[in-house]
Amino acid sequence: MSRSIALLVGTRKGLYVFRSDASRATWEASEPHAELAPIYHASFDPRDGVSMYVAANASWGGPRIEVSRDRGRTWKAVANPAFPAGGDRTFSRTWHIEPGHLKEPKVVWAGTEPAALFRSDDRGESWSLVRSLDDQSTRAQWVPGFGGMGLHSIAIDAADPRRMSVGVSVGGVYTTTDGAATWATDNEGIEYMFPDGPAGSVAHCIHKLLAHPLDAGLRFMKVHEHVYWREPSATSWTQVTAGLPDAFGFAAAIHPHDPATAFVIPLAGRQRLAPPPGIAVWRTRDRGRSWERRTTGLPPAPLEVLREGLATDRLDPLGLYFGTANGEVWASRDEGDSWTRVAQYLPYVLSVHAATIPD
Amino acid sequence: MPRIRLHGAYRELAEGRRDLEVPAASVRGALAALTAAQPVLAERLRDEHGRLRDHLSLFVNGYDVRGLAGEETTMRDGDTLDLIPALSGGAP
Repeated sequence: MSRSIALLVGTRKGLYVFRSDASRATWEASEPHAELAPIYHASFDPRDGVSMYVAANASWGGPRIEVSRDRGRTWKAVANPAFPAGGDRTFSRTWHIEPGHLKEPKVVWAGTEPAALFRSDDRGESWSLVRSLDDQSTRAQWVPGFGGMGLHSIAIDAADPRRMSVGVSVGGVYTTTDGAATWATDNEGIEYMFPDGPAGSVAHCIHKLLAHPLDAGLRFMKVHEHVYWREPSATSWTQVTAGLPDAFGFAAAIHPHDPATAFVIPLAGRQRLAPPPGIAVWRTRDRGRSWERRTTGLPPAPLEVLREGLATDRLDPLGLYFGTANGEVWASRDEGDSWTRVAQYLPYVLSVHAATIPD
Repeated sequence: MPRIRLHGAYRELAEGRRDLEVPAASVRGALAALTAAQPVLAERLRDEHGRLRDHLSLFVNGYDVRGLAGEETTMRDGDTLDLIPALSGGAP
């Protein structure tokens, strides 16, 4: 089967789409879409092979979710997520849109600011607040991080649609095993940023939480400080930061075909830029036991990559992509070994998603 | 009837409509008639609790309604309501 790639690049001023065939050698750029809106995230729905979702967070006119049913050629705004009447929360941003499990083809999930999880049962046309998570007593402990208080990670188990974890900044990890009927905090093993933090606190600044798309139960996570691995049979997170140049960073990705391989882009904690000698993608081939620095083709520059800024495609060999604050997009078609620049002079890149599109 | 004039992106969202006449006796009624005619504008003008969005300015006959009676400002035949987005600057 011949496949192609559509890179959905969300910037502070709109969505850009870069398209390539499976060789990933050359890229064709689109005109920007929704250029007045910061695009926190865009995603492709591999279940129907045509739908795309965009989190367009305009400061005026309010945030909106847009849906495409023709692989990004045309878009329409759908009904916004809404918080219950009588409360003090107003839907202000969408941080992440995640197509649901293959066994639930019409379900789509959205994480928002204020931090909450919304579910769509009609392929993103309308949204309902997941009250079971909203009613958690520990929600009172959630506080905003530097970028706001968002639910940004939605990690769905490869085998069981009833199993799902979400990550909140700052509010930790919650996991459901019964289809979001009930939730439990899932922070065991995560180091507190402040060593004397109170027992049972959920004040963990999750930066990126991922579930492996094929290996049921396997999860990978970047927290404000440190990187964590979670084997399917484990009951707590294992810290795997050793070997990285800095514990800080946002971006993380997991290899969709090889459950032992994952990627992070560390940043220096104070400057929030790549530490000297410059931007690098760090790869583990052994479940975080060791890390290797991959830089061939990358400039020795202190670039910045945000939480949605690193993505993989589904081809073999794996394609890897990241976008930077200075408006560049970089691509690797050899699993991170070497890199070429897809684009430059874009607005500040907030998110990158690699859609692997069937013909 | 009062007339509504759309500016900037509101005009783009309304498929290029520059203005329309609406049967209304107040700003609130005019906005309700507008969103009935152009549903795409509903969530652009108000949040889920019905509050007007930030960065939306409303002028009746050239006067900011915040200095009049807000959404209860009376509108009469021949009055003009201007909807103007983002009367503000960007990042420093």
